[in-house]
Amino acid sequence: MNLLIENFRLALFSLKANKMRALLTMLGIIIGISSVIAIMTVGNSLSSDLNQSMSNIGAKDMDIMVTNKPQYDENGEEIYEYDNIRKIRPSDNITADMIEDYCQMYEQDIIAVSVNESVGAGSMKESGKSAVVNVIGGNYGYLYSARKELLQGRYFTDKEMSNGAMVGMVSDIVVENMFDGNMQTAIGSSVSVDCNGKEYSFTIVGVYKYEADLYSFGSPQSRAKTQSNLYIPIRTAKSLNHSDSSYSEATVILDAQADVEKMIENTKEFFNSNYYERNDAFMVDAYSMSSLLDQLSSMLDAVTLAISVIAGIALLVGGIGVMNIMMVSITERTREIGTRKALGATNASIRLQFIIEAIVICVIGGIIGMIFGILMGAVAAKLIESKPVISGSSIILSITFSTAIGIFFGYYPANKAAKMDPIEALRYE
Amino acid sequence: MAKKMIEMRGIVKRFYIGTPNELEVLKGIDLDIYDGEFLAIVGASGSGKSTLMNIIGSLDRATEGSYILDGIDVSACKDSELSGIRNKKIGFVFQTYNLIAKTDALRNVEMPLLYAGVTAKERVQRSRDLLTLVGMDDRMHHLPEELSGGQKQRVAIARAMANNPAIILADEPTGALDSTTGRMVMDLFHKLHKEQGKTIVLITHSPELAQECERIITIKDGEIIGEREGSGKNESVD
Repeated sequence: MNLLIENFRLALFSLKANKMRALLTMLGIIIGISSVIAIMTVGNSLSSDLNQSMSNIGAKDMDIMVTNKPQYDENGEEIYEYDNIRKIRPSDNITADMIEDYCQMYEQDIIAVSVNESVGAGSMKESGKSAVVNVIGGNYGYLYSARKELLQGRYFTDKEMSNGAMVGMVSDIVVENMFDGNMQTAIGSSVSVDCNGKEYSFTIVGVYKYEADLYSFGSPQSRAKTQSNLYIPIRTAKSLNHSDSSYSEATVILDAQADVEKMIENTKEFFNSNYYERNDAFMVDAYSMSSLLDQLSSMLDAVTLAISVIAGIALLVGGIGVMNIMMVSITERTREIGTRKALGATNASIRLQFIIEAIVICVIGGIIGMIFGILMGAVAAKLIESKPVISGSSIILSITFSTAIGIFFGYYPANKAAKMDPIEALRYE
Repeated sequence: MAKKMIEMRGIVKRFYIGTPNELEVLKGIDLDIYDGEFLAIVGASGSGKSTLMNIIGSLDRATEGSYILDGIDVSACKDSELSGIRNKKIGFVFQTYNLIAKTDALRNVEMPLLYAGVTAKERVQRSRDLLTLVGMDDRMHHLPEELSGGQKQRVAIARAMANNPAIILADEPTGALDSTTGRMVMDLFHKLHKEQGKTIVLITHSPELAQECERIITIKDGEIIGEREGSGKNESVD
């Protein structure tokens, strides 16, 4: 312990004695560590950005849709011409029954299946007041996945859902614009909406909190002009659109524990083998943003790793520099080594002395490099308009890495010093 | 009769063993050194006295023969054990002082104590005492490059005393000094011998210095060719 402290003191001493040399030696380590850290910081920033934006748009959700079956020519090659393929018919669509069976089958993994039917944009007008709305019909799953906070009133009842009642949920913006912000008055009131050249009348049953979503970024509008959704039961929307009660697409909200990749496979298998085997032109496809996200982030990781490896080469060169300087230092201090041995230093303590000296050079270089790296990474992240993410692991990594370099490149010179013959060393001029 | 500090029997040292250049530097040395003795080993250069000194100092091992130092059979020791013997049993004083550069006098004296595992507090205390003993108490924090040759040698002697060794082995300690400072160093050896009862082995080629010791061993061509009594007196005082 004594010897260890003394060795650190000694190492710092000998660095101080040769400041310029120590700095130049450290430079390699500084450049190496700082570039690794900078790249890692930028990489982490990018992937956290990616994760952030993906979770905003519900990457855990899985979309299923009816799509064309691949067509093959006589040679078994896939044909990409869809000219002579028939149009989709209501009978090709996914039915409510199929969805019900599907939900039962994968009860464990599915929270809800969301389907919707857009009626269109419309405007509410009433005694000089107006609001812009987008009329959209949804099932319970849809309302769940919209993740809106209910401020006043209620969701639709089962009866309203199955009857296709003319009821709706409006945003607090609509209430502000139409009812002077009085939600109590709004509930139970009837509003008429001009939509697709027709006028519909809905009874308001609930008010939800408006939140700007990812798609509404861009020029900020005044709240008076902001378009918000008017949610109505899906059945209502279907009948307003005069469409049948089947769906060409749906969103499946999966449990957080669910294996998305597996569910994609299961879902395709479920629909295609149960319902679409005999369909001549259509099938069901499923995909998830999460698999895309995984691909993207593993790509990003690979790129970060690749660049880090290149930066690691700088570190290697730095390490060789340390080794070189240690060799010089040992030759210069041959007499000192001889003297120390005569005074009772064992080979092990001489070895320790020089290894610690190498470690001290590397760790000081590593810390300086880390600081530079974090700064560089932060600046780079700023430039690409990303939030810099400084990972604790990069700090630990740089310290351990530089210590490891010190040990690795310090060992050979230190061992050479340890093995010196004391008589020869004392005689060295 | 005082106890034997060193007992050497039939010490042979050969170099380049098994090559045509094989060289026998020591040809069977028998040597006893007693506790509290002030002994001189004299010989011309190439006589083998340096080799003998290296073996006495446990820096090197004899090819043949037995060497017992303060009851320890050094000829049977491993390298790591030799380090321990050098540390605790031998105090080296070199012609060129060999102080560690950029390290102050105090820390130089602490060095053997450090390798012996003595605690920091005790190290400093012991080193201060020793520097006071050699009259360097006012230069404790001077670096070697700030000291004169005689001062450096006094620090080196203090360092040699650090672990209270069985013998002090001084290799031409005045060789690099002028006569006045050389005299001061010799005075210090006499003082350590008389006041502390230290066993001192002085290796020199100077007959005058050797004459000051109690016993003088002369080496030539790897053999002891003469042994006589010296005055054992400090010329400058008596």
